[in-house]
Amino acid sequence: MRGLALNILLALVWTLFVGEFSLRELAVGFLLGFLILSVFPLSLGTGGYVQRALAAVRFAGFFARELTVANVQVALFALRRHPPLHPMIVAYPLRLRGDSAQTLLAATITLMPGSVAMGFNPERTVLYAHTIGLNSARAARASVRKVEDALLPLYGQSAAPEESA
Amino acid sequence: MNDFVPARDIPILLGAFFVLSAAIGLMRFPDLYSRLHASSKLVTLGSAGIFLGVALEFAQTEALTRLIAVLLFQFLTTPLSAYLIAQAAYLRGLRPLLEGPDEWQALGKAALLDTDPNGAPPER
Repeated sequence: MRGLALNILLALVWTLFVGEFSLRELAVGFLLGFLILSVFPLSLGTGGYVQRALAAVRFAGFFARELTVANVQVALFALRRHPPLHPMIVAYPLRLRGDSAQTLLAATITLMPGSVAMGFNPERTVLYAHTIGLNSARAARASVRKVEDALLPLYGQSAAPEESA
Repeated sequence: MNDFVPARDIPILLGAFFVLSAAIGLMRFPDLYSRLHASSKLVTLGSAGIFLGVALEFAQTEALTRLIAVLLFQFLTTPLSAYLIAQAAYLRGLRPLLEGPDEWQALGKAALLDTDPNGAPPER
């Protein structure tokens, strides 16, 4: 959060220099500020922020791609004569911890190819998802795992597998 | 009638196509849980395409910032409603039509009810 505050501050400083307060100059200032923060991560103590911001950008690209694939897939299912739905409900043991991270994971799963999040167990260690178009529970878990792998660096959590429920 | 402007009209047409498939999928998929796939994914990208086309038509900063806000809320709320509908239906005992395993049931449905019998919110 300190990194983000510094970045916004640098964006405001840039608009002061340019002498024009507009969305465009604010965006330019934000990008320049981000460049400064990534060049001096140690002296400003913002290394974690830069890495998480880059992870967020990567995740946004990944998300856009997967959302498109998901839509084409479901649209084809809707229009085909005999769609190979193969519906099932799979349990996915979570590595991601924390409410906001798990909420984001569940929301992303719902917009991803083949899966809709349905619930958690009370300990918040297992995610239940309804899936279509996936042949096996193993394939379904692999597709959820892909999202989780993209989200783990965003929350600064290690990808090391821990004991699962 | 205006001419066909690809940058504006292609997103709108694609969005309309996805929303139409969502409607067809809602009619054709076999059960509630499968229909949620159509209503959540297709409507999200479909409406995003239509909004994008409209914002490009106006081509102003205000239109684009509103587009970003609309998309953000769309991406936040659509999965939430799908999640709540699926969970409510499942916990109320609506059996899904399955060709594969039901691992939720396999892990013990009773233990997974998030609320106690009195309907009080779960302790955290």
